[in-house]
Amino acid sequence: MLWLALHLPLLSLEAFCATLPPGAPRRPVALIGQQRIIAVDSAAAEAGIRPGMKRATALALTADLLLADGQAARDAAALQAVAHAALAFTPAVTLHDTQTVLLEVQGSLRLFGGLAALHRRLLDALAPLGHRLQTAAAPTALGAALLSQWHPVDRGDPVHGGHARSLPALQRLLADAPVWMLGPGREHWEALQGMGLHTLSDLRQLPRAGLARRFGAGLLDDLDRALGLQPDPRSWLALPAVFDSRLELFASAETSEQVLAGAAVLLARLVAWALARQARVSAFTLRMRHERQRRVTGPATELHVELAVPASDADHLQSLLRERLGRCTLAAPTLELQLHCHRLVAGPAPSGELFPTRANQDEGLLRLLERLRARLGDEQVQRLEPVADHRPERASRTVPTQGVAPARREGPAAVAARTAAAAAPALPHHRPAWLLPEPLPLAERGDLPLLEGRPLQLLSGPERIEAGWWDGQPAVRDYFIALAEDGSLVWVWRGRLPAAPGDAAWFLQGRFA
Amino acid sequence: MPTLRGLPPAPRTTGVLPAAPRTPEPGCSPATRSTRPGAVAPAPADRPPVPEDLHPALWLAHQVARPHDGVLPSGFAELDAQLPGGGWPARLLTELLLPHAGVGELRLLAPALAALQRQRRTVMWFDPPAAPCAWALAGLGLDARQFVVVRSRAGARGRARERLPAADVLWALEHALKSGHLGAVLAWLPAWLPADALRRLQLAAQAHDGPAFLLRDAQQRTRPSAAPLRLLLASAGPDRLRVSLLKRRGPPLAQPLTLALVPVLAPPALARARAPRGPAAVTRAGAPA
Repeated sequence: MLWLALHLPLLSLEAFCATLPPGAPRRPVALIGQQRIIAVDSAAAEAGIRPGMKRATALALTADLLLADGQAARDAAALQAVAHAALAFTPAVTLHDTQTVLLEVQGSLRLFGGLAALHRRLLDALAPLGHRLQTAAAPTALGAALLSQWHPVDRGDPVHGGHARSLPALQRLLADAPVWMLGPGREHWEALQGMGLHTLSDLRQLPRAGLARRFGAGLLDDLDRALGLQPDPRSWLALPAVFDSRLELFASAETSEQVLAGAAVLLARLVAWALARQARVSAFTLRMRHERQRRVTGPATELHVELAVPASDADHLQSLLRERLGRCTLAAPTLELQLHCHRLVAGPAPSGELFPTRANQDEGLLRLLERLRARLGDEQVQRLEPVADHRPERASRTVPTQGVAPARREGPAAVAARTAAAAAPALPHHRPAWLLPEPLPLAERGDLPLLEGRPLQLLSGPERIEAGWWDGQPAVRDYFIALAEDGSLVWVWRGRLPAAPGDAAWFLQGRFA
Repeated sequence: MPTLRGLPPAPRTTGVLPAAPRTPEPGCSPATRSTRPGAVAPAPADRPPVPEDLHPALWLAHQVARPHDGVLPSGFAELDAQLPGGGWPARLLTELLLPHAGVGELRLLAPALAALQRQRRTVMWFDPPAAPCAWALAGLGLDARQFVVVRSRAGARGRARERLPAADVLWALEHALKSGHLGAVLAWLPAWLPADALRRLQLAAQAHDGPAFLLRDAQQRTRPSAAPLRLLLASAGPDRLRVSLLKRRGPPLAQPLTLALVPVLAPPALARARAPRGPAAVTRAGAPA
């Protein structure tokens, strides 16, 4: 077995910083738990703030310190996203503690081309989540976890260091590890130190029975598990079937840019989850909980984004969300974001191509349509569809473009056949290209219609259309092609039955373009 | 192209050399001169090299430019002869100015659009002035199902539309042009536009491998425009279209062209239209006399 450990030393700080509004001036950050500082960033550490200090001491050291509560749930959500991203590489992933994820990668080495290649791809996949990582590989789970957490300064690169491929190598590496790293050992740290036991090799040289009596069997068990002398079964993490993640913002977001910055964190988690399921997202919902205004909590805003082509590209999802956000007005500042997704399309993403081809042209077109629909609304991006009806106002219909245009799905032969059929219709050019949405009543002089005060010359007709008695909107009309004063051709009609006195007899239906 | 693309556009000024004569020389009227894409004036041996031999983007003001980005034949031979390169230019805006919708503009564009559809490239329409009739388009050889019609939102339409900057349609048009995945674009722009809108669109069009037609009101003909090709369309009688080239990369065309469109009228009706206009009596029962 080969275990890869991912240790995130700054997890709680990074999880907190993701909730800060973008573009705010950088301030030293410290997290607080049970009245004590538990984590500090580099700026705060420079000011002299150390974990374990009291709140008042820290505030006395720097006035503009940003103090926030450490939240276990927030950290757990961020760690879970890391575990999901790791699940794309092996099905055997487990959480070791609140800051460490373990992967069993022996079965994946061949597929990904060795440990170094796997390691590189894993780091690339984790990069969007924006965490600082310490990794280590070892033949035992606990050994890998210990190696990743323990990185002495002289061991060089903390990201790539600490790889032991065999048990003796691991035992050599761990011989110098401090004894407090074993979980139960911490409680007895002072006693162990008093006995002159500093490293794991010191511990191994003592008689086991005496150690077990003094410090409990747990310490010895952990030591044996780390060195591979005892089995160490783990239970694997199961991937949830529905993605649901929330992010409470530190400051309420007032602009869509701030909402988007928060949503970007959630989208990165969503993509990690989708990749672990070997699938692509086809729809997701962003729910925004708003601030109370005038003592009334407004309803949460829900933005539903649907994709024509399922995608697992965080940038594309974010651009769609940006257009969708631009279309809505937010009633109140946003406090909390929640991203929900349950619609996935399984299967690998189509492979990218370097040079333009028909397939990526189509994909680019679909992305363009998707973007237009996200910004303008589904009803504003339409396709035209002919309908077999003689009434001109019903002979075409617009339908929203959903997904792939029909011509794209068919083969070229079907397209050619249909185009040929369409090119030889029964009525070649007797229909105007522009149809008015409502027939426009025309004035008349004598028996002739007037368009903009000038008489029309009737050239062709009548063509009688009598249809629609079956659906309650009958049309009984005589259509004429008429010549307007400036030489353009228009299509006018007159009701076959005499109009009531006072009603217009002639109507303009369309223009020949 | 080191010509007018970055300069404030002047509709009547073309060419690169300010000293070059703006009016054609006698005996070389633009209507009769050969304007094949590769046509260059024969240079005598003792003169310095002519600019068009130095670089394809250079031409003299009395010649028609040779676009190197590809053209799409318009389907009308007499119009192709006058357009630089012999067709609708790709990667450039083409402005069509109409007195009102319905003078024959779709019949003018239909051959080029049908050629694009045969290559299975998508044509996108932005804010058409009325509902397009699918059967009429089919009669012109176009498959209406393959068009995508984008309309700006209701708030931007209606009475206030004439004054609003039409942010929707400009945004959508710019993204459509920039994406470079479309075959052609037809946009009916509102009368009032921000001053830099056409310049932005022209920049976006450089990524668009196909013609981009802007259809605007004929009242805009006196306004400056960034579009390198401007045509004024007017009806010249039934089934005929008068096309004036207001601006092209080359000398202005003195005489408008008259194109014969795909006929709507049957020959007897056409003869009736050509006949001197008299009181056309229509009886309720039958055809006009």
